Amino acid sequence: MTWLARLPDGDPDPDRPARAPGTGTDWQRLAAIRPEAVEALAGLVAAAWAECDPVLLELARLRTATLLRNRAEHARRTARAEAAGLTETKVAELAAWPSSPLFSARERACLALTEQFVVDANGVTDGQVAGVTEHLGPEGCYTFVQALSVLETFQRACLTLGVETVPDVDELASGAAPTTPEELR
Amino acid sequence: MTPRIPLPDDAVTELGLPDTSGWAPGIAAARHRLRQAAFRMKSVDPVTTELVRIRNARFQRCFY
Repeated sequence: MTWLARLPDGDPDPDRPARAPGTGTDWQRLAAIRPEAVEALAGLVAAAWAECDPVLLELARLRTATLLRNRAEHARRTARAEAAGLTETKVAELAAWPSSPLFSARERACLALTEQFVVDANGVTDGQVAGVTEHLGPEGCYTFVQALSVLETFQRACLTLGVETVPDVDELASGAAPTTPEELR
Repeated sequence: MTPRIPLPDDAVTELGLPDTSGWAPGIAAARHRLRQAAFRMKSVDPVTTELVRIRNARFQRCFY
């Protein structure tokens, strides 16, 4: 269900479909209302994927989708993660990450932090942060938390607005404006 | 607030928070751009925006 049902079907900008694939979807209709904001949001999601290990982030994204009961996000797959080696067998085992031999200690540390972050960020423990830092280093842990925060907020926003047809990250990135500090100056 | 991860130095931001501006620069820049876009929309008045921000901070027990 979408809360955007009464939005205009037509897009007043004929060039936008080329920039933001997903023409005619609820995502594009959202973009038709606030193109600048949606483009910036797409850029933020793309930046999160650009700075993180795609397999780690995809596992975190899918686990977040389960916890938020976000069926659309749970059914979707990110091509970058598949290209990096994430298999459907492993995805199917995701709920059993604490004990499944398919998951490394590094992935378990990230998934433990992910679950607590999504359920109650204030309940994240020193040990959970230390676990991720042990495997990713301080900067890697910081980046992972930033990326997780982006994707979790994005999922909550999509759930709230009823947006189910989100383009893949490569499509989002192609439609997003530059986001490097130099380009913003 | 004590940082849970080792930081490169003791620098703090104008809010007194650890300065992590050198980390995840792409995400930081994209967040900045989204904030700018949100402010430019002016769809929600500043009083409502501030009430939501404070309410959310309280809900998250974020008191700085």
